[in-house]
Amino acid sequence: MAAVEKRRPAVAPAASFTDSGRPAVSRTAAPADSEEDFLRQVGVTEMLRAALLKVLEARPEEPIAFLAHYFENMGLRSPANGGAGEPPGQLLLQQQRLGRALWHLRLAHHSQRTAFNNNVSVAYECLSASGRKKKPGLDGRTYSELLKRICRDGEAPEEVVAPLLHKIQCRDHEAVPLDVFRAGMLTCFVLLEFVARASALYRLLEDPALAVADRRVGQAVLDTLEGALQASDGAPVPARYLEAGSRLGPDSLALAMDRALVARRPSSPMTREEFLEKAAALFIAKVKPVA
Amino acid sequence: MSRVSVPCHVKGTVALQVGDVRTSQGRPGVLVIDVTFPSVAPFELQEIMFKNYYTAFLSIRVRQHTSTHTPAKWVTCLRDYCLMPDPHSEEGAQEYVSLFKHQMLCDMARVLELRLILRQPSPLWLSFTVEELQIYQQGPKSPSMTFPKWLSHPVPCEQPAPLIEGLPDPNRVSSEVQQMWALTEMIRASHTSTRIGRFDVDGCYDLNLLSYT
Repeated sequence: MAAVEKRRPAVAPAASFTDSGRPAVSRTAAPADSEEDFLRQVGVTEMLRAALLKVLEARPEEPIAFLAHYFENMGLRSPANGGAGEPPGQLLLQQQRLGRALWHLRLAHHSQRTAFNNNVSVAYECLSASGRKKKPGLDGRTYSELLKRICRDGEAPEEVVAPLLHKIQCRDHEAVPLDVFRAGMLTCFVLLEFVARASALYRLLEDPALAVADRRVGQAVLDTLEGALQASDGAPVPARYLEAGSRLGPDSLALAMDRALVARRPSSPMTREEFLEKAAALFIAKVKPVA
Repeated sequence: MSRVSVPCHVKGTVALQVGDVRTSQGRPGVLVIDVTFPSVAPFELQEIMFKNYYTAFLSIRVRQHTSTHTPAKWVTCLRDYCLMPDPHSEEGAQEYVSLFKHQMLCDMARVLELRLILRQPSPLWLSFTVEELQIYQQGPKSPSMTFPKWLSHPVPCEQPAPLIEGLPDPNRVSSEVQQMWALTEMIRASHTSTRIGRFDVDGCYDLNLLSYT
């Protein structure tokens, strides 16, 4: 198979995988001796190794879909793909860079801290290696744009994430250091997971018949969570964790919910949006703003 | 009850003897030890602790602060307290002894100085004294220890059974809420020291921080 490839005149697909930084291998000048040499020369060995490393790092559930995405992204990376000879518009380039950065960021879950940090660094480089004339660096506009994109794709309601964006986004003209970038990305992804959890919680709380949750129960659960978060702010770490564990145990939650229902207050529905918003507010209160 | 050690200065023992100490053949039967508290204001004595070394009887006198005008007086607060039931035998000769406020003959407030008078009537022992003398005053009033609620939490077997029909499953609710708590706690713990370098406060700049170039 490879031997057949070799004899064919130079065609685009292999060349499109070569990184822009590396000079394209001229195949007529140095004819490859063996199949292995050929693969190395056109960069396939290196490329597959990188792809395998990414698979190992991310451990995706569906490796084929993952690799398909990966190679699609590699294709995007080469500027030759932009159009027939025409340089793509600045806006399009920007969108491409954002897309690439997002893709890198999503490769690993934030709990795989090393992999996630690596990917954040790669995304940061992706974004900061911008136009040819501009100085390298990431400005606040791109950063805020990326934050918005992450939140929008994360299926979290707009009004839920807006306070967070307000808290961690930078101004358009500001240069964003890597640490701030990393903290922002981490916070954003963690919030999305938090909202997903809150959403699952809401499904548990909602009445199967009415498809809404009782406000009293929802508020009781949120109050319990808030209490655990604020209980002993100044206490040393193990004591704080123990206290939170006790407050959030099934029995104390059951008590809180029971008390809420027994109290003679009229029952009223609590919508999913409201519940998510209130839950997210508890989270966002603990986020340190960009200073 | 808590107690706090009082820093004290224990002076050398002084032997009381009739006749010339150097020439007399008999050994002294009475020793005096003075204890002063140079670095402490008059305090209320709580406890005296020491290790006995062949002292048979102990008396203690105390000098208390009364008022600024009248000179402080010496008062006997412990008289011939028996440390060795039989001065001629070993019993109690090397024991640790604690003497408390309530064993004293007088009130032990505003102590300035102590004098320990040690007696050993038996000629069997070459020397006698007390060692490792420690004086304690009362610590801060019984510290109000409030135990966190989770320490006195009912153990699982005492839990009230689920009470109302139609209540969401507390186990699953608890598991979700705990996850949410963990995520929040994680974000609270992560922080960057990097600052983005804003000089304005609430959108206003301090004039002194702006340069004119």
